Amino acid sequence: MSEPILKVSNLSTWYGRISALKAINFYANDDEIVGIVGPNGAGKTTLLESIAGSLNIKEGQINFLGHQIERWTVLKRRRLGLMLIPQEENIFPLMSVKKNVEVSVILSNRAEKEELIDYVYELFPILWDRRKQIANTLSGGQQKMLAVGIGIASNARVMLIDEPSIGLAPKLVTKLFETLKKIKEDTKKTIVLSEQNIKVLNIADRLFGLEAGEIRFDEKKENLSRDAVKDLYLGSIS
Amino acid sequence: MKGHYEKIGTILILLLPLLFVFRGGYLQEVTGYVYLFLIQGYVAWFLFFKSGQPFFGYSVTMAIGAYGTIVLTVIFGWPLLASMLIGAVFAPVVGVILFLATIRARGFYVSMASFLLAILFPKLINALQDITGGRSGLYFSGITAFIGYKTLYILVIISTALVAGLFLWIMGTKTGKILTLISENDRLTQAVGINTLKYKIIAYTIAGFISGFGGALYVNYTGFISSIDIEVFTTLYIFFIPLIGGSSVFYGPVLGALFVILMPELLVPVERYFRIFFGLIFIVVIVMLPEGLAPNIQRLLTKIRLKRD
Amino acid sequence: MLLNGIITGLIMGGILSLPVLGVAVIYGITGIPNFGIGVIGVFGGFVTWYFMSFNMVIAILIGIVVCFIIGYIVQRILLTPISERGGEATLFFIITVSVGFVVEGCMRAIFPRPNISIELPRIGTINLAGVTVAGFKIIALLFALVTLVIIRLLEEHTEIGKSWQATSQNLKLAKLIGIKTTQIFNIASGVGCALACIGAIFWGSLYNLQLSSGWDLGFMGFIIAVVGGIGNIWGGIISALMMGMVMSFSGYLIGGEWQSVILYFIVILVLIIAPKGILGSERSL
Repeated sequence: MSEPILKVSNLSTWYGRISALKAINFYANDDEIVGIVGPNGAGKTTLLESIAGSLNIKEGQINFLGHQIERWTVLKRRRLGLMLIPQEENIFPLMSVKKNVEVSVILSNRAEKEELIDYVYELFPILWDRRKQIANTLSGGQQKMLAVGIGIASNARVMLIDEPSIGLAPKLVTKLFETLKKIKEDTKKTIVLSEQNIKVLNIADRLFGLEAGEIRFDEKKENLSRDAVKDLYLGSIS
Repeated sequence: MKGHYEKIGTILILLLPLLFVFRGGYLQEVTGYVYLFLIQGYVAWFLFFKSGQPFFGYSVTMAIGAYGTIVLTVIFGWPLLASMLIGAVFAPVVGVILFLATIRARGFYVSMASFLLAILFPKLINALQDITGGRSGLYFSGITAFIGYKTLYILVIISTALVAGLFLWIMGTKTGKILTLISENDRLTQAVGINTLKYKIIAYTIAGFISGFGGALYVNYTGFISSIDIEVFTTLYIFFIPLIGGSSVFYGPVLGALFVILMPELLVPVERYFRIFFGLIFIVVIVMLPEGLAPNIQRLLTKIRLKRD
Repeated sequence: MLLNGIITGLIMGGILSLPVLGVAVIYGITGIPNFGIGVIGVFGGFVTWYFMSFNMVIAILIGIVVCFIIGYIVQRILLTPISERGGEATLFFIITVSVGFVVEGCMRAIFPRPNISIELPRIGTINLAGVTVAGFKIIALLFALVTLVIIRLLEEHTEIGKSWQATSQNLKLAKLIGIKTTQIFNIASGVGCALACIGAIFWGSLYNLQLSSGWDLGFMGFIIAVVGGIGNIWGGIISALMMGMVMSFSGYLIGGEWQSVILYFIVILVLIIAPKGILGSERSL
C-alpha cells in the first residue's frame, strides 16, 4: 500500500462559535475515486474548500505530495496539482464555452493544451456543439458539464468536486458519474467527490461518511453496506 | 453600570472648559473650534458608525447651516435666529434627498455621491459668488453683536454637551436600538418587518439638522466663511474624528476632535508635508486600528495595570 | 457654433475617457473603486512636466511609468491585502481617497509651482466641415479610441487578456484554475493609473494642471464612469463623449463654474433612473 497522495490530519475549523469540522482525518490515494457522503450541512463543502485553500483552517495539517500545504495559497496548491470544482459559481459566466475551456488550460504547455481541450470536447460533445455560446446561457446540466470540463482542462492531479450531481436530472447524474469514472480510468487521476446522492456508490472506490463535522466511517466500497450509508442519511447512526 | 459612568463622565468633562470662559485667550479660542468640530464629529459618529449609513457629506450639511445663516442675514437682511433656523432645517433636506436619490444603487454609491457633493459644494459656492462671496468669503458679526463673545463661548460648550447628550439618549431609545440593528444587518432588520427606510430617514434628518445647527454656530463663532473653509478636506477631517478617536466608545469622538484640531498645530514645522502625514495616518488607522484610538488606549491602560499587579 | 460645441465636446470627452477607462479597468478587474487615480495621474502629469525640457518623449514615458508603479505598489501593499481580508466598497473608497491625499501631499512638497501647463507640439490645424481645430486635439480624441480598441483586442485574443476576463468574472474560480490573480490585480491597478496619467498629460497640454486638478479629474472620471456603468469600458467611453458634450455646451450657455454642478446632477439622475449605468451593466470588460 503506497502512501496516500493527499492526507488530511486532525482538521478542525469553525465559524465563530459554530464548529464546522472536528478533527477530521481523511486521505486519498493515487488513481482512485473517493466519495465523501453525508447529509446537508455535514461539512462537505467546508472540507473540500479547506483542502483547496479557499477557506482557512484553524487547526490541522494537510499533506499533499509530500508537502504540508495547509498554509499555502490557492494558487500554490493548484500549481502543485490540486484543484477544486466548486458547487456554485463554477464557470466564467460572460465568456463563451470555448473561452472557458481555453482559459483553463493556462498552466499547461502548448502540446498539452491541444490534447486537454480535445479531451474535454470528447467527453462532453455537447460542449463542442455549444462552444460559441455564452456560458451563463447554458442549461444547468450543461453548466455542470462545463464546470467539470474546466476542471479537466486545468489538468490537476487531484480533482476535488463539490456535489456535482446537485440539480441534475437522474439520467444526467448517471451519465456524469460514468464520465467521471472514465476520466479516472483514462488519466489515472484522483477524484474526490462530495455527494449526497447514493449513486456515488457506483463509481467510488472508497467512501468517507461525514456528519455534523465528523467522519463517521471510512471504508472501501466492497466493505460498505448500502444500509450503513442509508443510515447516515436517515440519522440512525449517532 | 460602568457604561453609565462613562457617559455621564464624558458629558461632565465636556462641560469643563466652561472654566476657561474667564481666562480667555488662545486656549479658549482653540477649545471653541474643537467643540464646534466635535458637534460634526458626533454627527458623523451617529450617522456613519452607529446607524451604518455611508454618508460623507458632513462638510456640506455644516456648510448649508453656515452659509444659510450668513447669506440670509448679510445679503437678504433676515433676522439672525431665523436664518440659523432655516440653515439648520435645509441641511437635512439635502442629506435626505441625496439618500433617497441613491437608494436604488448600492450603498457605496451613497458614499460616492455624498463625497462628490462635498467636492462639488465649494464649487457651487464659487459659482454663486455674488451671493456667497466665493473664495473671498463673507464677514458678519453674528450673535456676538447681541450677546458678546464670552456668552457665545458658553453657548458653544453647552450646545456641544447637549448634542453629545442628545445622541447618547437617542441611541438608548427604540429608534436608536433599531438604528443599531440596521447598522449591523440591514437586510435582516428589514426581514423582521421593521421599516428601515423610515428609520434611516429619521437618522439622516437628525444628523443633518444637528450638523446644520453646528454650522450655524460655527459661522457665528468665526464671523467669517469662504469656500476654502469647506473644501473636501473638511469633510474628511470631520469623518476622521470618530474614526480615529474610536467609534465604539462614547468619548471616542472627543479624543478624535482633540487629535484632529491639535495635530495641525503640532505639525506646523512640517506644514508642507501636512497632507502626506494626514493621509498616511488615516490609512494606518483604518488598516491597523479600525476601532480608533480610544479602545486601544483602554486596552493599553489595562495591560499596564495588569503588569503592575 | 453648434458644430464647434460638438467638436469641443467630443475632444473633451475623448480626453476624459482616459481617466474613465482607468477607473473602469481597475474596478472591472479588481472590484475596487479607486478614487485616487485622478490624483495619481496628475502627479504623473507634474512629473512629465518636470522632465519636459529634457526630452519630450522620455518625459511622457517617465510620467506614465511612475504612475504605473504607484498604482502597482498601492495595490500590492495596501489594496490586495485588504480585499483578502474582506474589504467592502466604502472602505476602499476611504482608503483610496486617503492615498490620494498622500500623493497630493507629495506633489505639494515636491513641485514648486502650483499651476503648470505641458507644452506638447502643435501639429498644425485641421479643417473639419468649416471648423478649425488644432490637430493636436484630434490626436487626443483618437488616442482614447485607439486605447479602447487595443484593450478590447487584447482581451479577446490573447492569453493574458482571457486571464483578465476570467479574473474579473469569477475571482475564486480563476485562482482555482491557476491564474495569478494577485499579479493581475497589481498590473490592472498600474494600468489604470497610467491611463489616468495620459489623460492628465493631455489635459495639461490643452488646459492646465493645478495641484488640486487631481480631485477634479478623479471626480469627473469617476462620475462619468458611473454613468456608463462603473466597470464597463464601452459604457465609459460613450458616457465620456456624452458628458464631454454636456460640458462643452454648458460651458457656452451657462458659464464654466456651473459645469461641474450640471454634471453632478446628471449623475444623480442616472443613479436614480438607471443605477447600473446607461448600458445597464456594471462589470464587464
